[in-house]
Parts: sequence; C-alpha cells; structure tokens
Amino acid sequence: MSAPLIPDLFGICKVLVGAMIWVGRQLIYALAGPVPPMAGFGDWLGSDPVVTVATWFLLVTVVVMWVTVLNLFTVMWVERKLYSRLQDRYGIMISVWSLPFWPFNRTSRPTHKGMGYLQNLADGVKLIQKENITPRNADSAMFHISPVLIASSTLMVFAVIPWSSGFYVANLELGVLFILAAFSLAPLGILIAGWSANNKYTLVGGLRAAAMLLSYSIPMVLAVIALVVFTGSLNPVVIVQQQDRPIVLFGATLPIPAWYAFGPQVLGFLVFTVSMIAEMERVPFDIPEAEAELVEGWTTEYSGMRFGIVFAFKWLRMLAASALISILYLGGWSGPVFGTVFVGSFPIPILPEEFWFLLRVYLLSAFFVWLSWSVPRVRIDQILNIGWKRLIPYSLLAILVAAGFKAFG
Amino acid sequence: MGVDWELVAFVVLSVFEVIGSILVVINKRLVRAAFWLAMTLVTIGAIYLLFLSEFVFLIQILVYAGAVPVLFVFGLMLTRRKIMDEVGEPVAAAEEAPP
Repeated sequence: MSAPLIPDLFGICKVLVGAMIWVGRQLIYALAGPVPPMAGFGDWLGSDPVVTVATWFLLVTVVVMWVTVLNLFTVMWVERKLYSRLQDRYGIMISVWSLPFWPFNRTSRPTHKGMGYLQNLADGVKLIQKENITPRNADSAMFHISPVLIASSTLMVFAVIPWSSGFYVANLELGVLFILAAFSLAPLGILIAGWSANNKYTLVGGLRAAAMLLSYSIPMVLAVIALVVFTGSLNPVVIVQQQDRPIVLFGATLPIPAWYAFGPQVLGFLVFTVSMIAEMERVPFDIPEAEAELVEGWTTEYSGMRFGIVFAFKWLRMLAASALISILYLGGWSGPVFGTVFVGSFPIPILPEEFWFLLRVYLLSAFFVWLSWSVPRVRIDQILNIGWKRLIPYSLLAILVAAGFKAFG
Repeated sequence: MGVDWELVAFVVLSVFEVIGSILVVINKRLVRAAFWLAMTLVTIGAIYLLFLSEFVFLIQILVYAGAVPVLFVFGLMLTRRKIMDEVGEPVAAAEEAPP
C-alpha cells in the first residue's frame, strides 16, 4: 500500500562512502609513485571492513543531522510560532530575509518580518557565544557530565526509531524495548544535574523531575505490554506493517485503517499518550521547571550552550515521543501513494512513507503544543495521584482487556 | 592478526566495571558513588550484550541503569554533600566552607 522514498539507507550510504573512498584511493595511488608504502595504505582503505565501518559512521551522521538539524529546528519553530499565534501575536520573525547580504537584504520590505524559521539558529549562535559559568560550590565534574548524559541518551532513541520502512539506523527485533530503555536513562542525568548545581531551586526541580519521570515510566511500559499482547513483536517495522490494512469498509471509498488506537487498545493509547506528555515535561506536567516557583527548575544554573543542550533535549524527546506514538498506535508511515514517478530506474512515490510519517509526527507535536499552552499546570501531589492512582490501574485494565480480546475475540 | 576482539571487548568492559565498582565503595561523595554504580550496571549490561542476550541487556538498562540509581540518588538528595568529613559540625557550617 505504501512505498518508501529511501528503501535502504544503509545501501545509499554505502554507495556514497564507496565513491568518497574511490576518490581518496585515486589520490593515494597517485602518491604511491614517489612514496611506495602509500600503495598498501590505499589497498587497506579499499578493504571491506574499512568501508563497512565508514558506512556506519556516515549512516549515524546522516540520521543525527536529519534529527537535530532538520527536525529539531522545525519542531522548535512549530512550537514557538504556534503558541505565539495561539496568544494572538506574531511571535518569532527572524527569517532568511533578515540575513545581511545580497539576495536577502531587500530595502523595499521590513527585514525582521518573515516566517521566523531562522530564529532558533540565531538563538543557537547566541548561546554558543555566551560564557559557560559553573557555580562556585557546584560539583563540577557531575555538573558538566549530566548534559552529555541527558543529550546522548535521548539521541540514542533515534538509533532505533524508523522514519519509514527503509530510513533507519538499525532495525532491531527488540526496538521498542530499546527505545523505552533509552528513554529511561535521562532521569538519572536530570537528578545529577539538579543536585550538582548546589542550588535549592535546581535540587527541588531535580527531585520533582525524578519523582515524575520515574512514576510515569511505569504506566508507559505497562501500556506497551498491553500492545505487545496484540502485536506479538517488539520490532517497530513489524508493528507498522500489522497496521497497514483496512479494518472495516464504510461503502467502497472510506476504509478505516487498522490502527491500534481504534481497537481495544484505545485505553492503552490514552494512557501511553498522557504518560508520554509527562515524560517530555510539557506543561500540564511541567512541575519540574515551574518557572513561577522554581526559577527554571533543574536547568537554572546552566548557561551558554549547555543550557541550549538541556533546553533542546525536551524537543528531542517530543520528537521521539511523537514518533513512538505514531508507530505504536497511529499506523506509523502507512498511507496511500497516489502513483509513482520513475527517474531512470528508481521509483519515486509521489507521497512517500516519509511524508506520511512526518505528517503524523508534526500533527502530534502541534497537538502537544496546543494542549500545553491551553491548560494550567498540575500540582505536584496531583501529578503523583494521576500517575499512581489513575494511570497505573488504567494501564493494568488495558492489559486485561487486551488479554481478554486475544483469548476470546 | 588473530586478535580475539570479543575477548578484548570483554577485558575492557571488565576493567571499567571493576574500577567503577571499587569507586562506588570508596567514593566519599554519595551522588558520585551512585553515578559510578550506574556506570557499573551499564557495563554489566554491555557484557550481557557481548554474550548475545539482547533482551537481558535491555532489561538491565531499563531496570538497573534507569531506575535503581535514580532511587538511590533520590534518597541521597536529602543527605549532606560529603560524608565522613566534618563530623560533628552542623550542616550549615559544612555548606559555608570554601571548596
């Protein structure tokens, strides 16, 4: 039913690496006339293990760039522009028309009145220029390790999240479990960050973050257990393939797809979504950085690009959570193709799987932004009550319902 | 050329694990001890991965590296920064001392 734009990312990276190594080898063999040992180096460079390792490096680089440079900036732009529009104001307006050189410095129109896509880039440049301040009584090593711990554990999630049936780093049999495990590593970094800054606001923020993230990861995992009763697999690609079929046809033209959110898993879907909102510390559950009471929560003492890292990590988690929800419950990248164009012998679908997946991811992100700028913040005791007294019983009920449908349905 | 890379990886991970577990015991800053505990548990998980048991590795990361050190640090947050020095002095004086 659906077709990917990039059927095999590893193969594409391997072709690219092969081309680059071929060019390098030609230069080295040219040098091998005056310097004979270079010939052996050229042979070693063309050998199979070297090409494979270089391909993996390029593959990881491509996916990290795709996630951080393209999608992270886009999702930050979506959030900042959308909440500004919800508050009936323009919001960010620095765009390419603000650049101070030729094709962009138009004199006929105001410079700082664009769509605002480059505002986050400008903020990043500003943060890189700023001084990195460590508080005097802070535990310096821990203070500097924790942003690395938080950012790297969140980026690890994207090693397994597939963006289409061909666009992924690794296709593990236990991919969903890997994603949940990598998600659960961040609370340790958050706690260490809050403790090591030696500031009572960061300490309280870290305590709250740890209490909340720990208690909300339990219903998250239980909801996934309820889903696995149905799928029988933890492989994200297999889970999406199971949803790529119509469940019921109203007439001939309106098929309802077999997304897991529409079946008996609807309770698990709701529990999983709520606990994911809590896991990314968005507003109904952003008590760890309640800026009216704690200055900026556990990120208070960070400055410069370290603040940028711990700040952008929330959007990375939002991307990961949206991708995970759409893979598990909303059909992933399934969708109609509407024909295929052939460029040479390469088939290029008009609406590829990547388009459908990004559509779901950004619609979910926009939903989260809309929700978090519309509702008030929940108190800390209410948060723990929701987590332990509501979501965990509901997720256990979801497991029961799933097992019942599996046994009798 | 016959390097047993699995053995090399096992030895490197074991060295990290043993050093980490020693640091857990001898460190005087409790949160650092909990951090080293997390590193020890992650390296144990990596050794499971070396033995080709991915499921045990992921459960080790999910439970032991994700939850157990967090619980420890959660309790430790309410203690002093250093233990076993400045015995008998009030906590406030220990906090005011220059580093």
